[in-house]
This record gives sequence, C-alpha cells and structure tokens, in this order.
Amino acid sequence: MSITAETAKEHAKDPAVLCCRAEAGTVLSASNLEDPAIFDDLVDSGLLNLDGCLTIEQILGATLTKTCDSLTPLTPDVLDGVKEVASEEAAEETAVPVAAAPAAPAPVAGPAAGGVLRIHIGEGKDINIELPTGLTSGGAAVAEVTEAPVAGVAAAPAPAAVEEEKVIRTLTRKHFKITEVKRGPETKIEGTTLYIREGIEADVVADQELVKKFELEIITPDKYHTYSETIMDVQPIATKEGDSDLGTGVTRVLDGVVMMLTGTDEDGVQIGEFGSSEGYLDENIMWNRPGCPDKGEIFIKGNIVIQEKTNMERRGPMAAHTAFDVITQEIRTVLKKLDESLVVDTEELKQVRRPGKKKVVIVKEIMGQGAMHDNFILPVEPVGVLGARANVDLGNVPVCVSPLEVLDGCIHALTCIGPASKEMSRHYWREPLVLEALHDEEVDLCGVVFVGSPQINAEKFYVSKRVGYTVEAMDVDGAFVTTEGFGNNHIDFASHLEQIGMRGVPVVGMSYCAVQGALVVGNKYMTAMVDNNKSESGIENEVLGCNTLCPEDAIRALAMLKTAMAGEDIKKAEKKWNPNVKATNVELIEKAYGKKVDLVANEQSLPMSQKRKEKYD
Amino acid sequence: MGSIQILLRQHVGAPCEPIVKAGDNVEKGTLIATPTGLGANIFSSVYGVVEEVKEDRIIIKPDEEQKETFVPINVPEDASKLDMVKAAGIVGMGGAGFPTGVKIDTDLQGGYILINAAECEPGLRHNIQQIEEEADKVIRGVKYVMEISNAGKAIFAIKKKNGKAVKVLKEALKNEPAISIHLLADIYPMGEERAVVRECLGIELDPTKLPLAANSIVINVETLARVAEAIDEKKPCFSKNLTVIGKLNGGNEPHVYMDVPVGTSVGELIERAGGIDGVYGEIIMGGPFTGKATTLEAPITKTTGGIIVTMEFPDLHGANVGLLVCACGGDEERMRDVCQKMNGTVVSVARCKQAMEMKNGALKCERPGICPGQAKNNLQFKKDKAEYIIIGNCSDCSNTVMGSAPKMKLKVFHQTDHVMRTIGHPLYRYLKVSKTVDQDI
Repeated sequence: MSITAETAKEHAKDPAVLCCRAEAGTVLSASNLEDPAIFDDLVDSGLLNLDGCLTIEQILGATLTKTCDSLTPLTPDVLDGVKEVASEEAAEETAVPVAAAPAAPAPVAGPAAGGVLRIHIGEGKDINIELPTGLTSGGAAVAEVTEAPVAGVAAAPAPAAVEEEKVIRTLTRKHFKITEVKRGPETKIEGTTLYIREGIEADVVADQELVKKFELEIITPDKYHTYSETIMDVQPIATKEGDSDLGTGVTRVLDGVVMMLTGTDEDGVQIGEFGSSEGYLDENIMWNRPGCPDKGEIFIKGNIVIQEKTNMERRGPMAAHTAFDVITQEIRTVLKKLDESLVVDTEELKQVRRPGKKKVVIVKEIMGQGAMHDNFILPVEPVGVLGARANVDLGNVPVCVSPLEVLDGCIHALTCIGPASKEMSRHYWREPLVLEALHDEEVDLCGVVFVGSPQINAEKFYVSKRVGYTVEAMDVDGAFVTTEGFGNNHIDFASHLEQIGMRGVPVVGMSYCAVQGALVVGNKYMTAMVDNNKSESGIENEVLGCNTLCPEDAIRALAMLKTAMAGEDIKKAEKKWNPNVKATNVELIEKAYGKKVDLVANEQSLPMSQKRKEKYD
Repeated sequence: MGSIQILLRQHVGAPCEPIVKAGDNVEKGTLIATPTGLGANIFSSVYGVVEEVKEDRIIIKPDEEQKETFVPINVPEDASKLDMVKAAGIVGMGGAGFPTGVKIDTDLQGGYILINAAECEPGLRHNIQQIEEEADKVIRGVKYVMEISNAGKAIFAIKKKNGKAVKVLKEALKNEPAISIHLLADIYPMGEERAVVRECLGIELDPTKLPLAANSIVINVETLARVAEAIDEKKPCFSKNLTVIGKLNGGNEPHVYMDVPVGTSVGELIERAGGIDGVYGEIIMGGPFTGKATTLEAPITKTTGGIIVTMEFPDLHGANVGLLVCACGGDEERMRDVCQKMNGTVVSVARCKQAMEMKNGALKCERPGICPGQAKNNLQFKKDKAEYIIIGNCSDCSNTVMGSAPKMKLKVFHQTDHVMRTIGHPLYRYLKVSKTVDQDI
C-alpha cells in the first residue's frame, strides 16, 4: 500500500519500492511507494529482492526514466536526480558508551539492542554538546540531532533538582515458619507444625452447591512425583493483623507451605481452556516462578470436583475457589492468634515516591472473559474471597491500586489456564515488575492499574480507552503494560499500548509471545516490547508458570522504558522470534549496569513428562 | 408491447408519490408521479391505461397504437429554462440519477460545465453514438446549462479512441470558442465525476467533495440532450438511450436503442436485440463494473445505460476465494453474488485502501484510477488460504494486483471477466497503455 509523507520520513533509510506501476517521467513521492512494513513478507514470498535498492530518502523527488511496474525496487538505472544523502561515513559521529537500550516491536516481541549514544550532525556549525557526567554508569539518555544549523544537545534524565524520597506507606510482613503439615482434631499451629482439622473436607463440599467432591492432600517434597489434575491456583497463606486494609499495616504469612487448588468437573474434564497442567507435579511445575511453589515447600493441595459441564461456566471455577478458601480461612484465623515469638523474619515493604524522577505507572491486564478467566479484586484478606469483587462484575474497567496492595495479595486469580503464561495468585504477592520499579531509584512508581480483558471486542476498546484517560490523568513520563496468556487478550493489550502511546507517553509492553503467542494485532506504538517467554521452543508448554513475568523480564522492561523515556529509538526486532535478542539485551544491560542478571531456568530443567514428550519437545 | 412498469424511485432522493389510479387513461408525457422531497417528476412513457398502482411502481397497459406526439410539460409561457428542466423531471442519465434541475440550479460565476462523454463502462456505446448523430442537440443542451448555471466555459471529456465522435465534435464546435474538448486515455475509470474534474481541470477533489468545489458541474451527454429537448420541445423526460449487448442471437455487437420508453422490460429489449443465444450466465443491468444482476421482468429506468447478457460462469467447485472490494467495481454484495455464481467460497474480504465509505454506505475512491498498492491485500488473501481472488478494480489497480498475485499463486478473476469474454473485450489484468494521452486531435 502506498504510504504518506509522514511514513516516508519514518522509513527514510528503508528501501524504496514502487507500490504500483509508474510511468516514465513521474516525479516520485511517498504515494508511489510501497509500505516497508510488508517487505519482510514480500521477501519471504519471493516477490521482492532488495539488493541494490535505493533508500526512500534518496529517491524522493527523483524522476523515473522508465515505466516500471508495481513492486519494482528503485535502483539508480531507472532514476534521474537521485539524492546523495550525506552518507553515514561522512557524518560526524560521537559514540559514547551508555546504558543498554534493549528493545523490540511487534509482531514478535523480544528486545533488540542499542548501546551507543549516537549524535548525528549532518551539517552545522557552532554546535555545543553537553553531556552530564556519570552517564556511562547509569540510565540511558540520548538525543539525536540531524541537520541542525545550530544545536545544543543535552541528554540524560532532566537534571531537575532531585527531591528526597517520600515513603507514602509501609507494609510489614511477619513470617512464620512451617516445616510440617499434619491432620488433627482441630486446625492449629504448634511450633512449626500446622494441623488441619480432620473432616474439613465436608465443610468445603457443603460450602458450595456445585462442589461435588473434595479431597485434601499434603504434598511434601518426597511426594512431588504425585499425579495431579490441572493446577488452578497457587496461593500464599496470609492474614491481616487487626483491622488494617490490604497494603497497609501488618500481614502475617506462613513460609514453607502454600495452598494449591486443582480440579476437574464430574466428567473428569480439566478446569481449563487452552491447555492444562495435569500430570506429575514435579514434571509440570516450573519451580520458584513468582506464581509457583518454591522447590522444598509443602503443598496443601485440594482437589475439587465440580458439577459436570460447569468447568467452562462462570459459576464453576468461582465455586471451586470460594469453597477452597474455607480451609485457608480457618488457617488464617489460627495464624492471627499465633504468638509473636514464633515470628522468624520481619520485612518492611515501603511504598516510595521519588519526586523529580521519571514518573511511571504499571498497567496490568488481567483476564476478564468470564468462567476461569476472572479475578477477585481486593478481598479483605490476602488472596481471600470475602469482600472481593469479581473483575467481570466490575465491567473490567481499570482499577488503580497501590504497589503494596498488589504485594499484599489484592488479586485472587481464578486464572488457571494457559498454565505456562498465566499469573497465579501468588504471582501478585511476588510481582517482579512492581518490586523492581519500586526499588529502582531512577524511577518514581506512582501506582498500578489493573484492567480486565473482556470477551467482546467492543468492550475491549471500551476499557482500553479508559486506560488511556487514566494514564493521561496521571501525567506520567512512562508506562508499562503487562498481560498474561496470549491470543484474544492481545487485542486489548495492543489497544492499551496504543491509547497510552498516542498520548505521547513512552510505553513498554510485556507479554508471552515467542512462537505460539505471536501478536495477532499491532500498532505503531508497539515498538518497545519484552517477551516473557522462557520455554526452549517458544511455546505454551503447559508447564505451570514457565513463561510468566520474572525478575529478568522486569529488569529488561525497566531498561527499555528508561531508554524510551530518554527519547532514544528502540531497535526493531527481527521478524521471526529469535531468543538471541533477549540474550544480547541482557548482556548489554549487564555491561551497562555492571550487575549480573540471573536468568531463570526453563522446562528443560524438569524431568521430561510423557505429555511434553508427545506434544511439545 | 408488454406492460410498462414505471418505478417511483428512479433518482437520488425519496420515491415519488403517484397522482394516477388504476383505470386512468394516460398519454405519452402525462405526469403520473411527483416528488415528495428531493426527486424529479415522473411521466408516462406510453399511451395506455393504468393497470395498477403499487407501492414502488405504476403499471401501465400500453395501447396497441403508439403515436409519436406527446403531452408537453405544463409550464407557464414565461417559465425560465431552469423551470423547464425541473418540470421535465430530468435526472443524471449517466447512472447517478441526481435531479438535474437541482444540480444546475447554481451560480458557477464563470466556472466550467464538464460534459461527461467518457462512456467508461466497456461495452456501452449509446453516448458516443449520440454525439456522432446528434452533436448539435447535445451542444444546445450544453449552452442552455452554461446559461442557467452561469458557466464561462465547457469541456467535453471524451476518450481519444472514439475517433469519429471526436471528429464530429471538433467540427460542430469550430465556432464555439467557449467549448473545448479534453481527450481521455482508454482506461477505467475516466468517467467517475471526480476523475473528469481531475483530467479536465487538474484539480483532485476529496471523495466528500462535489465538483462544485472546483467551480464546475459534471453532466452526462444524454442528460444534456434531454435538457435541450425540455427547453426546445417542452418534452418531458420519459425515455432513455441504452445499449443492449452480450450473448445474443446474431452476435456480440452492441445494439444501441434511442428513446426507449422508461418502464420497458429487460426481456423485451433483449428480444428486440435478437434474444438470448442459448445458455447464459447472468443478465446485468448497467455496466460490467457497476451494474447488478437483473431479471427479464425488470423495467428500465431513467438511469439504465446497459443490458448485458453474459456467457456462463466458470465453476470453482467450492474453492477458497478472496474478494477485493473497491469503489470502482461492484460493492461487497455484488462481489459475493459473482463469487457464488462461480461456486466459490468466500474466505477473505479485503477493501482497497483508497475505497472510502461515504455516509450513505457507498464506497468512493480517493484517487480514481490511481493505484495505492495492493500487495498487502494479496498477503492477506494468501494468509486466509484463498486459492482464487475476485477483484473489481480499475485498470491501474488490477495491474498492481497482477504484480504480485500470480507470484503468490493466487489465481485472479476480475468481476467483469464473464462480460469481457462475452463481448470480446480484453480482460482487466495488466495495464499496457499510458494514463496520459496526447491532446492533439
């Protein structure tokens, strides 16, 4: 398709190819040119060979000397008046090593690299370039000047007077250690032993009409090789002290043990849609992911059977989660009264604001299509049920929360499918991007916005427009948009990025994409993307949590957003998924920050399951 | 002569209101329906008796004998020329059907009347034949419209390939310094209103703009002749010139019929042209690009330009088909109709980048006849697993489609193929002629 003058400018250095037949004597303009965005596909289809092709800036205004057909790459032999563009070699270039600029655009995310401060001056005199000292050690900051007669280039984060950090509020986590979980006549904690009341199963079944059967199992590390139905959720066991709200005051949490909900319907159908993680636990859990159990932990694993055919209805998964919380709530009640002397560790999470630093917001897209694609927002207890409102009931509109509310379990995730890329409840409790941004002294994290992903397209755009206005009102310098899963939700994910980007706010998108989750839609604001994929072959491998957002992704996203906020272009990713892009970026970040980025393991570190062998690897 | 069916809506605007009832005797030129809003008077085209008044049409049984004389339009002695045009119920006869009395009721302040003689739809010939035979009448119409609209100049836009008509015009215009000729290349579309403005005046109009924005009016050859008839003879607009062509007994040459009574059935005209030759594909009312499938019973209107009987369609045996919809050819409904007749399965629909949807849902091309590139649509068709594509594009865009489709192994059909094969016209595929022509006559 022909392009506009604006697009031609953006693609000045891209090859110039005729979009349509043009007759001899035509003075070439943007409307004669094919859009470089489709060249990759055309080259792939063997329709285009760009060898020797001139660039768009070279041919604009030149005259065609011969009538040429569509898709003709423009070469000097058919043109008069080709512009001699100040060639790269002739231009003065100052290269200053500077923080990495990882990046990448649609269609397949995965960051690419920049890594130099490039100041290009085509023509000019009396040019002063001032660079702040200490540039080599920190944030990327770059400006590009072309053909400016007189120009002063200052780079780096605005040297505005940096004010003191402000602690808005704090959240204290008191940790209690559990080393053993047993059954007993009553639910209690003695020392480091948690007893769960015998017969509590009947209470779970009685709680919800749709729950037909319930079994409780204590999985200790020696029983990790146990068969399990699909894992619907992994939850921390935590409770508030006193009357404090989520994200404030004190939270008590049990270490060494997690709640795990699994289940099927009466017909034995896994409660999942795209993929499920049933199988031997040790072959299907990516240990130590933010949303997963850590290796060595004990699972209080409840297997729920819900009424037949309700697995894909809203009420089915909701009933399962609500009933299972009966057990967690009983443990919470005990935990509340536990003697202070049993606290093994206390940590203080601070919500810090950094006035004068680049203000950023995190927009987290969560599932809101209904059934198991739902989330309970803001329960009274961490990852509880009581007091929460389902995302779908709220119309999936953006909900602003504090970073500490996120880390205090304000999301009870019903999400249980697309096991590798979905975020379990525990993920939010340890959300890496929130933690990284909160701790990063170069940015000012102002808040987190949750937005649901509705089923219908019209509703998707309804909520994404709200995201746009919400972010606009926040007056931020940059934004992150994360999502879980892939496919349908990428439509609104892309729209969120567009709504934010069109308001002139640099924005970084984060999603699992790679091979199977390649973006189905795109727009011109999707230029800075981080792929959360960890799997070897870039697929949804049904291993719980494998492709979810990890600290290494958060680090890359932060580096990328800083680069974008500094106004530097982010390099395009290759057309096909290439894991080396991530590797290169990580290397650049390590070099720039002088800090090792530890990469997490993937499914290859687990014993090979029969399912994986047959379906994937 | 069979019954005459006169539609109450033959123009842009609201349907007319009938003013006759069953049993009424009518004459050629009797006013039988009047506008309720934007519209134009409708007259009986025959002597006869009103058989039935239906919601959308008046059915008249014609008398055995039909005289040449007609009832003149009912206007006062001192009526202005514009009043006569309005009273005569003239509408744009090139196919658009906009009431002419409304269109020319403007002050061009010395601007242009652009005479659309492109007759762009392949196969049609009645406009060119009228210039060859009645140039004087058309030129009288031009001068009346120039006077009514206060135009300073007029330009005939005609394809250079029509050598004879051009010669006749040149001769007829030798003493008319205000009226000139602009020659057009033989590509489709040149007769699109804004294409005419662009070619004659060098002004590119946005699809939402009328030629008035370029201080001009674009008006069809036949419409001008009807204007001359209304003013010189007080003749109401009740007949139509048209071309019947296609798979007919006696061959595929065009049959031009002048002054056919509006309301005559398609079947009757086909019979008059020799009748259908054996099995056929479909009957099109209008041109190959913008016409639609019709039936033998359907009546012609003030805007009917062509009746085409086509050969049979090829059978795609349910193969996957992509449709490329644009403003120059049929709309999506027509494209789907063609696809279904070819026994294809629509798996993908793309719209040419330049096809802009107007408020009324119709498509208009941003730059008629100048391609914006089509490779991306072909990539879509490929992705959607189309094996064939059906396009309705103009000459330039069809050429672009051919630049990539065959290499992608997409087999291309043009919506007009079955017509072109029937009438022995080259298929719309590659463009081999220049879009600019030498203006030397």
